[in-house]
Amino acid sequence: MGTTLVVGTTFGVVARQAGLEPIEIAAMSVLVFAGAAQFAMVQLFAASAPVPIVIATVLFLNLRHLLMATSLRPHLERLPLSRRMAAAFVLTDESFAMATGYVRRGGTSLAYYLTFAVALFVLWNLATLAGIALGSAIGDPRRFGIDFAITATFVGIVVLAIRRPADVAVAIVAGLVAGALALAGASTIAVITAGALAPFVGVLRRR
Amino acid sequence: MIWIAILGSAVATYLTRSLPLGVTPRGRVPAAASRYLEMLPVAIIAALVGPAVVAPGNTLTHGAEPITAAIVAATVAWRRSLLAGVIVGVAAVALLRAV
Repeated sequence: MGTTLVVGTTFGVVARQAGLEPIEIAAMSVLVFAGAAQFAMVQLFAASAPVPIVIATVLFLNLRHLLMATSLRPHLERLPLSRRMAAAFVLTDESFAMATGYVRRGGTSLAYYLTFAVALFVLWNLATLAGIALGSAIGDPRRFGIDFAITATFVGIVVLAIRRPADVAVAIVAGLVAGALALAGASTIAVITAGALAPFVGVLRRR
Repeated sequence: MIWIAILGSAVATYLTRSLPLGVTPRGRVPAAASRYLEMLPVAIIAALVGPAVVAPGNTLTHGAEPITAAIVAATVAWRRSLLAGVIVGVAAVALLRAV
């Protein structure tokens, strides 16, 4: 929950510094509600990426939810469809990790999962608002290196997400291919192309 | 345009969260597909870092500064925390620009 607060605030600051309007930033946290995807959107907006590229990148970034939702399905099956659809909206890496641990310990209360997941949603949005206020108060982002905050956040997310040697290979290939494509003048498709292809390196390594 | 991107992203994200809970899946997710999906986020976020570090503004000229700062941010994030990595990375860039 502490992480949610910190990352949410960082998002608000970074998005504000990138020139997005407060209402747009707040809407992203309410409607999209996916940390990494929201940071990616800010970066792509700053690079004036076309709308289909933004949506496709977000889609690929969030495809992992399919796995998480599939694994939670047996536990949510007794809910009526409308409630399941509501529960799906607050499915995140954090709420999934919590639910997985809770189920393994023998927990069966759906209210417990939903309360936790909704609390994360509320916290994320409050933190975003705090970040918007903070970001609006800082002038001249380049002077303080704030424009680098988004890249530093991505670097940190990648480093902390690495679990196996294959992850390192995938990250390096993705970064280099995207960088090379951008240098070659194909910056619009660089991220989505490199990001979609690099995981094959990991799949082929089988470790 | 930005609103279309936000709404489209919201719909795309919600579909990834809700599809397995809405429609009845048949069979299991193949292992290779599962591994691919697990590695996608790291790949895409690393792909976002690549151009920003190697070619900010699509030129190589400012390369040294973000590369140094990215290495610093990576090291601190790994040893300490995400927030510490961001703060030190930002400070490193500010310092490198001041020199």
